[in-house]
Amino acid sequence: MSDIPWRLAARSLRRDLRSADVRALFVALVLAVAASTMIAFFLDRLERGLERQAGQMLGGDIVLEQRSPFSEELRTTLEEAGFTLSDQVGLVSMISLGDRFQPASLKAVDDVYPHYGVSRVDLGEGAEQIASGPPAGEAWADPRLAQLIEIELGDRVKVGRAELTISGIIEREADQSAGFSNFNPRLMLNTADLEATGLVQEGSRVEFELLAAGPPQALDTVQGLLNELRQQGVEVRDVRVDRPQLGNALQRADSYLGLAGLAAVLLAGVAVAMSAKRYVERHLDTAALLRCFGASQQQLVMLFSLQLIGLALAASLLGALLGVAGQALLLHLLASFLPITLPPPGIMPLWLGVLTAMAVLVGFAGPTLLRIKQVSALKVLRRELDPLPPAAWWVAGVAATVFGGLLWLYSGSVPLAVALLLGGGIMLSALWGISALLLNGILHGIKKLTGTSEWMQALRLGGRQLARRRQAGVGQLLAFSVTFFAMAMIVLVRGDLLSTWQAQLPDDMPNYFAINIQPDERDPFEQAVAPRIDIQSTLYPMVRGRITAINQQPPMEAVPEDARGDGSLRRELNLTWQAELPEDNQIVAGEWFSSEAPVDELPVDKPQGWLGAVDAIPAATVPVSIEEGLADRLGLSLNDTLTFTVGGDELITRITSVRSLNWDTFKPNFFLIFPPGVLESFGHSYITAFHLPDEEQGLIRQLVSDFPSVSLINVDAILGQVRDVLTQVTRAIELVLVLVLLAGVSVLYAALTASQPVRAHESGLLRVFGAGQRMISHVQGAEYALLGFTSGLMGAVLAEVATAALYLYWLELPPRFHLTLWLALPLGGALLIGFIGHALSRGLRRQAPAASLGLLGEA
Amino acid sequence: MPHSSDKAAYSSSADASPQADSHSITDGIAQNKVPHAALGRPVLHAEMLSKKVTSGERTLTILDQLSLSVAAGESVAILGKSGAGKSTLLGLLAGLDTPSDGELMLFGKALSRLDEDGRAALRAGRVGFVFQNFQLLPTLSALENVLLPLELSPRAGEDHIAQTWLDKVGLGERVDHLPKQLSGGEQQRVAIARAFVTDPELVFADEPTGNLDPDTGAQVIDLLFTLNHEVGTTLILVTHDHALARRCDRCLQLTQGKLLPFVPAEPGVAGDGQ
Repeated sequence: MSDIPWRLAARSLRRDLRSADVRALFVALVLAVAASTMIAFFLDRLERGLERQAGQMLGGDIVLEQRSPFSEELRTTLEEAGFTLSDQVGLVSMISLGDRFQPASLKAVDDVYPHYGVSRVDLGEGAEQIASGPPAGEAWADPRLAQLIEIELGDRVKVGRAELTISGIIEREADQSAGFSNFNPRLMLNTADLEATGLVQEGSRVEFELLAAGPPQALDTVQGLLNELRQQGVEVRDVRVDRPQLGNALQRADSYLGLAGLAAVLLAGVAVAMSAKRYVERHLDTAALLRCFGASQQQLVMLFSLQLIGLALAASLLGALLGVAGQALLLHLLASFLPITLPPPGIMPLWLGVLTAMAVLVGFAGPTLLRIKQVSALKVLRRELDPLPPAAWWVAGVAATVFGGLLWLYSGSVPLAVALLLGGGIMLSALWGISALLLNGILHGIKKLTGTSEWMQALRLGGRQLARRRQAGVGQLLAFSVTFFAMAMIVLVRGDLLSTWQAQLPDDMPNYFAINIQPDERDPFEQAVAPRIDIQSTLYPMVRGRITAINQQPPMEAVPEDARGDGSLRRELNLTWQAELPEDNQIVAGEWFSSEAPVDELPVDKPQGWLGAVDAIPAATVPVSIEEGLADRLGLSLNDTLTFTVGGDELITRITSVRSLNWDTFKPNFFLIFPPGVLESFGHSYITAFHLPDEEQGLIRQLVSDFPSVSLINVDAILGQVRDVLTQVTRAIELVLVLVLLAGVSVLYAALTASQPVRAHESGLLRVFGAGQRMISHVQGAEYALLGFTSGLMGAVLAEVATAALYLYWLELPPRFHLTLWLALPLGGALLIGFIGHALSRGLRRQAPAASLGLLGEA
Repeated sequence: MPHSSDKAAYSSSADASPQADSHSITDGIAQNKVPHAALGRPVLHAEMLSKKVTSGERTLTILDQLSLSVAAGESVAILGKSGAGKSTLLGLLAGLDTPSDGELMLFGKALSRLDEDGRAALRAGRVGFVFQNFQLLPTLSALENVLLPLELSPRAGEDHIAQTWLDKVGLGERVDHLPKQLSGGEQQRVAIARAFVTDPELVFADEPTGNLDPDTGAQVIDLLFTLNHEVGTTLILVTHDHALARRCDRCLQLTQGKLLPFVPAEPGVAGDGQ
């Protein structure tokens, strides 16, 4: 005897493809694989795309920055790891054109620049995209610099001891990120000219940057080296850590897509479970016959497993193809946001798809399939000898375990997987009880219906049919509830996600930043701007200061080793003072400054406020509020002291509060906030942001001429990019939503096909007893509608609870109550199930009663 | 047609039962034993076989300590009324079920020493079945249905054998038809081809004409016995059709859990022939 009935399995499968349950099983598996691979492929490429984009904004995959040139040894190590290197030198220097002088931020780039992206430069014939820096002997000025000292193309500007020809006006640098640390206008030159300028000398404040671009593997290999460099005080920026500002929104989209993928897999799982039940029931006769012909239990299991594995492999292949096509479509939707050349899709998601199909099959159909093993050969003689269906807890347990594994695989978080699984398990058990009660209640209510109209009669009969199949009814009810729940959740989360994004990016979001407003310009500037704009953020005073000690130790020794290169320790920070906690900031530890400074303890001749207090009481220190992220990076907590050098003076501060804030608001945000009365005496300027409506663009010209030293920065382009990304991610989400809804429909299809033979039998009997097609149609419609209504109600309960939990713990959105859900789901459920079920049964109702009765095989 | 020599052997066996005791089931069956020398070694031997079913506190005895020996090449008809336990007996004899008491030897092996899989392995390729309701798989073609037991036998892969058998039952042109495209008689012919395709030593037939009209039934029976004759297979047939039973070497009737010798009525003759 052949051990593995390969041929038989292949033959049976080919034939079986005609039956509804196998088709439902196939469709469900295809959907599970398509959804999971599409999302996995997409996220994989999106992830890499984001990395590339971050690389573009940083100027390379790794950017190293320090005050001295980089050693040849380091260069060699990086090059051997597979990186291409590019040098940049940054410094601030006065440049002049004739008798006009202006401090400018010089950026010297080499011939490799830029690693990624292109700059937009006007070389005299309008702005064009250029993938290089200026050649030696030439320099590019930004429009602000050009305006300030009235540069025209071809002018020769003096930079240190050298003279360079301005050959371009640079509108956007290839590696320009959206930071405002640099207030001086830009002049870009070639590193070859640096020596001639004579600006790079011992003791001058020069930043040397080494930009490295290379494949992800190269990045992996140098992680150890990067940590060493950080410990030596080199500022290290890494694409994987320093993400562009969109990170937050995309992170949520990423979570959402993952969630939607899981919902699709769960729905497909339910469909597989229902189809498998019918599949097994249909094959019990075959199994008995094979037992009779001498097949062993193992052979039977092998035979049917082989068939299902064959089915799953075919489904995986088709699903994966659909997944690849789907992700291509997703990428097409996102094309304008993603870099043009994305790395090709990897092979990993494909394996993930096959694994998903197999896991769904084993988890949701396995225990049911094992029933075939139990079949007795005697069934060929006595049809009623069906093996007992597996216990519900066993089926649910295996499915839950496998689904938990998938949750873990997709979310990468064990606690999340366990929490979702436990929560789901508890809810399902509760639902099992509730659904039985609910069904009882509804049926009880229906019995009391006394009307004699055809519909009333149909409702009573339909209710009774549902009552007769209580056990199957509860099973179907659960399946439909889970389906409605998953569908509703994906729709709800999508809506809330989008409206949250919308709220984050209102139309009147600030699109201009004004910096470098001098104290005496503050009021006139505000008066000039206020009448012509809708929204303006607070005018924040800003003082530049450097951290010189942490807890009386040099910063490098006080912070964690990997924070030694942190930019906050190496550059001047923007410090501000505020009496009130700024809008959008939340205190996460400590307390905001009390409004009363310890003035009572001050001698009368001392200046008032905190500074006076500090002078008067040497032990006292100035309170300061720090941003949560910076505190985390530098390992700081409440009561740590920070010493600042501000304009030559030393200020000792103590951290009295830690704030969280939203960096995505496009408003001025500060790492460190002082109480009023400390920094006022130092040289300061103001910063603000405002929304300028399109029709008021003329204001900018007026501001530039009235306040020449004020820098106005337009962030419309960045805002536009953010909006574009969100619009496109929304489209991607909608595509995935459609997939989830399709998976939901596949469940309905599977469930309804599974119950077709029983219903055919019933309608056959009703026909024999004299019921007309119309009556049967009404009875079936009523039964389906009742089932749909109850499932919808339960789905609403589930969805409301689950979305609340998801918002709180995963998507980090505030939970909401969804009233429409409670109306739409039961009514929609009744309509949907009523309609689909009714339509599917149409063929059965038209069958002659004899044929319907024969369907159950009483030949 | 049955072998005339077999018929003679059966008759002689029935005649040679001077110590017949209708109260002793065992003895009664013993009288009916076919001389093994005439028909070859026993293919099947049942000793004191009982089957009891417990329902609540009641125990129902379906088969009561019956014994039976069937020799190779012999054809035996088991008659009985509806509910007499014919199918239960067939199930036990084929090793599809286990007795409550007694021992059954199939092809010289004690079934009680084999587990379910062992019994299945014993059947594979050596036992053929013909059922009342044909038991053809609706999704497989005629040819594939016939191939089914072949795939589980040592001759797996020899697909031409199935085609040959379909030719023999006159359905060589209908190999690709699904069961639902065949008439009842044709379906039973496919089932007969399937029963013989592995060249089995023993064929069980459970009411093979039960679902067929008399004419078709007669044709199917002719076919069954013709093939049985050609192959020399042992046939155990369960039926309530006396005409069918008469064509067997030996007839037994199952009444109240006991197996008794039985002479089927000739056409037109009333009574149970006992």
